[in-house]
Amino acid sequence: MLSFILIVAAAIYFPGVIVKSKAIFSGRKGPGILQPWFDIFRLLKKGSVYSTSSSFVFQIAAPIYLTTVLVSMTFVPFEENMGLFSFSGDFVFFAYLLGLGRFLIILSALDVSSGFEGMGANREAFYSMLMEPAFFILMGSLAMFTGYTSFHDIFANLHYNSYFSAIIAIIACYVLANITLVETSRLPVDDPLTHLELTMVHEVMVLDHSGFDLGIIKVANNLKFVLFSTLSANCIIPQSLDLAARIGIFLIAQIFFAAGIGWLESFRARNKMAMNAQYILSINAVALILIFVAMIIKNKI
Amino acid sequence: MIIVFKIALLLTFGMFAIPKKWKYLLALALQVMIIIPTTSWALQVLNNDTITFDFGVSTWSGPIQLTIDALSAYFILIINLICLCGMIYASGYLKPYLPKKRAVFISLHLFSFVWLHGAMLLVVSMRDGIAFLLAWELMSLFSFILVIFEAQKESTLKTGINYLLQMHLSFALIMLGFLLAADQTGDLSFGGVGKFFAQNPNTPLFLVFLSGFGIKAGFIPFHSWLPRAHPAAPSHVSGVMSGIMIKMGIYGIFRITSMIQSDLMTIGIIVLAVGIVSGLLGVVMAIMQHDLKKLLAYHSIENIGIIGIGMGMGILGKASGDHYLMVFGFAGALLHNLNHALFKSLLFFTAGNIYYATHIVNMDKLGGLVKGMRYTSYAFLIGALAISGIPPFNGFISEFLIYNGVINHLSNSVFIISILGVACILSLVLIGGLCIYCFTKAFGLSFLGTRRQELFTEPKEVPWIMLLPAAILVSFILAIGLQPAFFGASVMGIIQSLMHEPSSEFSASAIHSLTIVGHVNILLITLAASIIGLRAWQQSKVPVASGATWGCGYTAGDFRHQYTPTSYADSLRELANPVIDYKKIYTLFPEKEIFPEKKTFHTESKDLVEEKTVLSWVHLIVTYLPKAGIAQTGFISHYLIYPMLFLILVGLLIVLNLL
Repeated sequence: MLSFILIVAAAIYFPGVIVKSKAIFSGRKGPGILQPWFDIFRLLKKGSVYSTSSSFVFQIAAPIYLTTVLVSMTFVPFEENMGLFSFSGDFVFFAYLLGLGRFLIILSALDVSSGFEGMGANREAFYSMLMEPAFFILMGSLAMFTGYTSFHDIFANLHYNSYFSAIIAIIACYVLANITLVETSRLPVDDPLTHLELTMVHEVMVLDHSGFDLGIIKVANNLKFVLFSTLSANCIIPQSLDLAARIGIFLIAQIFFAAGIGWLESFRARNKMAMNAQYILSINAVALILIFVAMIIKNKI
Repeated sequence: MIIVFKIALLLTFGMFAIPKKWKYLLALALQVMIIIPTTSWALQVLNNDTITFDFGVSTWSGPIQLTIDALSAYFILIINLICLCGMIYASGYLKPYLPKKRAVFISLHLFSFVWLHGAMLLVVSMRDGIAFLLAWELMSLFSFILVIFEAQKESTLKTGINYLLQMHLSFALIMLGFLLAADQTGDLSFGGVGKFFAQNPNTPLFLVFLSGFGIKAGFIPFHSWLPRAHPAAPSHVSGVMSGIMIKMGIYGIFRITSMIQSDLMTIGIIVLAVGIVSGLLGVVMAIMQHDLKKLLAYHSIENIGIIGIGMGMGILGKASGDHYLMVFGFAGALLHNLNHALFKSLLFFTAGNIYYATHIVNMDKLGGLVKGMRYTSYAFLIGALAISGIPPFNGFISEFLIYNGVINHLSNSVFIISILGVACILSLVLIGGLCIYCFTKAFGLSFLGTRRQELFTEPKEVPWIMLLPAAILVSFILAIGLQPAFFGASVMGIIQSLMHEPSSEFSASAIHSLTIVGHVNILLITLAASIIGLRAWQQSKVPVASGATWGCGYTAGDFRHQYTPTSYADSLRELANPVIDYKKIYTLFPEKEIFPEKKTFHTESKDLVEEKTVLSWVHLIVTYLPKAGIAQTGFISHYLIYPMLFLILVGLLIVLNLL
């Protein structure tokens, strides 16, 4: 339960910090930290316009997308503090649950019969298909390393034999950070600010969502960001500290993570569209290194 | 009870004698007569021990016995469910054909349908070699008759003959397996195979059976009949064939696998490799298809691959003495049989609905069907989510069992099994991702958006009788998704009795996981419903309008600007080209053309595996066999020389003491 509250808490300032840091890097003052949430609340109060070609799929897509993110938040632990649900193989369920949300958002993009949204849908399906193995290899190697099979047990036991754990935790954190960027379609995969429909992924899929639907999609995206960065934080925050200190470190780490994304988006250009597949495959390759490191540590090779 | 079963099979001949409009009712009644006794046996066995009784017919090897154990009972229940759904569906689907077809063809079709059902039931309950092979042959023959229902089309007939030939190859290989075992043990039955495995190296005989049953199941490289026969057959037949008939091959492999005793490691690796290859190539080839039914047929190969992966991990678990991996691998594979039967027949029936309403199966020409065919699109969407292994539906549960077995095993296993486990996880994940890619294409582009082509008549929803089987199947899909613990426990019970494995503490932990999965699935549905309710409340206070799709500033967009299935599949082309040989064929713009003329563009992809493994040999034979025609000179005197030469040859061999 603690992790659920922490994710919600961090999600309050996370998008604001990204926007603010980007503003500072480009020499502007920028809006307040809570501005993204004010925008969302404004959307939640607005009326909606539905495309004439849309059907029931469009109606159910956004609510189910938010639901999947909310439910997957219940699986994520904060180190030894369990999530609401914990069972053997829960990370498999976690990944497939996010798949449900993705499936419906892709369908909602195809539902409005727009060529642009079709492009975004196609890219989303393609990139996530390439990305998903990295997450499973990562979790598989953590399972191999710790000998446990649920999020909670893995993260609670990751920190015992310290030197090896450090190697594993750092690579895992790197892979997770990259997965976050792909999952949420930020730079270098996609630049949410270009507003060039031919190159966008996530943003172009929701061009026809409006009002409440658009609002909850944005809520879900913000939560998804923190969801993945909580997994990274689980890998690196040392367990020897007491709980209050760790919560403090967690909240500050989220600020740094958000500012890091702001920094990345200010100084790095977007990949060429055709290069994205290679970029994602290279993350898979790093994850594969992780599994061999785990095998070497477990004396299997 | 057995007498009811036999009377039902005999009464099928009455089908040819009664008027056209009663034929269907007779078939349905006979099917119910078959279903009631067999279901009662199966339920009896699931709670108790194996039952055996005389069928009342004898071959030269003695009276035929029906033996029903837990595995048979499980398959009997699936066969009955899917065949009943197929029969109900047929009542609507066949209606347009009734005035057009001659009465004898209708009779033959329904007769074969009932007999296919009966033959499959016999296949899973016969243990004697001869009786089993007879039932197997009946199954192949009647399914052949069902496939060529539209035999007036030459392509259908050709496909049917291709199917018949491949099924006989399968028959020959299975018979060879039985004979090899009987040669040594003197027992032409599954028992004899078991005795053979106890005394000899297991790999060669297992491979013979694997290829025999694998042809039926559709494992790559024995798959080439599948993507041809399923689209050619009428939809109720393809639903039953893909849903349950190809599972008879899986049943056979399960039966043989439960008997093997040595060489487990080698056999496990072979089965796993075949499973991974079938799973990945099946789904990649499915993505490239334009024909909806062909796409579904390739997905059958993919799902058979997932079953193969589960079985491979199960055998590896047995090899390494890890009961957890063994039970979970096999249980996942067995449950996936049921799951695939449910969602694949659902998908074939809904594809049949599309064909019924529009007479089109090419996805490039469909689009926007959701407007006219509301219930069909609900059913197809649920089937698409279930086949992609997405919670809260059933496909996830069986894949979860396999994942669970493998990840629990990763930490303690030896190097080679860890590597295989990682390969298994990787391929399952990739299959899952590709499935999402494929079914967002199949559903999104044929049901959503707007029409890609003008249709003569506006598609209307099909009659309720064709939606009834879909409703039955969907309720099972949801039941497994929301109550996975019950189904998981039953399947694990079957595996434990099949593998003679005492029940152990880990099944309790698995049931615990599955129970939570079920609870989370219920939570998921409630939460989504409440968010939708919340939105309805919010929208009751604000204006809600509808308008044209946002064209990004371009206002002259029309239906031709939509994404097409071809363009959707295009991003995978580069990765998949080594196995599909994807080609774009189009006319170029000549340099000095002032007024553009009509241009054409189409794409095609080939099944390179089939080309390399099957067709290349066929080409060789076709090229070199005619050369033997030199001997056929047309002169009787030459033909008389040939026996003479033969006699001289035999004589020489005797003289040289070689014979």
